[in-house]
Amino acid sequence: MLDDRQGQLRAPDRALVERMSAGDERALGELYDRHGEMAYSLALAVARERADAEEIVADVFGQAWRNAATYDPGRGSVAGWLATITRTRALDLVRARGRRVRAMERAARADADGLASPMGAAADPPDRRIERGEARRLVTRSLGELPDPQRRVIELAYFGGLTQSEIAAELQEPLGTVKTRMRAGMEKLRGSLAVLRSGGGS
Amino acid sequence: MTDHQWSELAAAYALDALAPEERERFEAHLAECAACRGEVQALHEVSVLLADAAPVATPPAGLRDRILRDARQTRPIISGRAPIIPWLAAAASLLLALGFGYVYLHERADRQRASAALAAARDTVAARDSLIATIFSPDVVTAALATTGKAPSARLFWNPSRHRIVMAVFYLPPAPAGRTYQLWAIAQGKPVSLGVFNTATDGRLTAAMEVPPGLTFELTAVTEEPAGGSPTPTQQPFLIGKVTPAD
Repeated sequence: MLDDRQGQLRAPDRALVERMSAGDERALGELYDRHGEMAYSLALAVARERADAEEIVADVFGQAWRNAATYDPGRGSVAGWLATITRTRALDLVRARGRRVRAMERAARADADGLASPMGAAADPPDRRIERGEARRLVTRSLGELPDPQRRVIELAYFGGLTQSEIAAELQEPLGTVKTRMRAGMEKLRGSLAVLRSGGGS
Repeated sequence: MTDHQWSELAAAYALDALAPEERERFEAHLAECAACRGEVQALHEVSVLLADAAPVATPPAGLRDRILRDARQTRPIISGRAPIIPWLAAAASLLLALGFGYVYLHERADRQRASAALAAARDTVAARDSLIATIFSPDVVTAALATTGKAPSARLFWNPSRHRIVMAVFYLPPAPAGRTYQLWAIAQGKPVSLGVFNTATDGRLTAAMEVPPGLTFELTAVTEEPAGGSPTPTQQPFLIGKVTPAD
């Protein structure tokens, strides 16, 4: 999950990362058990190929392992750290393969329901911790409740790695419109997800 | 406080959706605008949560074992927290793209399994992450600036090949109203302005600045100047640092 608040029930994520920096492989295994699915889901949503998603996730956790000592809790949750690395890796892979446009075309075609379709929540495995499922549902629902045009520009930026100009070209909309939508959508999400934003603080 | 144009960029910046030139302009603005930094911080937290909107997919069964197997062949690079880390974190906070930073530190012998595509991807990261890349280049030289007294200090990372400096300042109270701080390069005895800056209320700042191509210098200095900066220093510098090679 993208927050560490489950800490009352078990070792907090950052304790795992600390153990990892001391070379404890079991801590890495546990970190994977907690966040491997999130990383894989994100990698797949961006890269759209299972084999690539697997490479990306192996790479992300390898990186987390090697660089555990550089993790700074003051900058955000462990899950957020992993998500950021995952997204960066996935986008880079997609870019390196020149596959981005194609992937985006598919995403755009599926825009009627997009990524925030009920599919996310429905596929939630039953054995997930409740808190995790709830947070995920809140994010999915909040995104789904945005007006479609706002949701699309945010998805194209986050999952597609497109800049605002690229989004404008992709959607054949004026750049100013894209900017306004992106801002309006993010501000709404900021309100509806405020309850989850415990990680970095400010 | 935050005017419309900049706050519009904040959302895009948090999603890493700005074109490179726009991003650099916005980062320069961020260095001087606490309101926008707060905005970016909050919106970045939102963007990180979007990972949860990805449709749930189950990773392949063998992936966990593979990760642990790979880990056994490499050791964590740093054990214990090296002194550089708070710097790195501070620098990364400006970019708000921690992942980019972490990408940087590693890269070791376990390459054999990394595909060519991932290697190319790393190059892309390198090209994009100008702030972190400025610090982690082999030819980077540093200068520590200190006062004769106690409090404020600064550290510079000068990357000559990228013509950029990353500066981290500590314990320096924000300049009074109508005043600003200015960073100077002293090249053959002559001060050349590298830019103006101000610290946040916590006395800190991390910022990237351009260095005129071809400019080499031995000393750096910080003065307090009227808002907007001065063509030449109007005061004695209160921070001075000598440039020392990386090795």
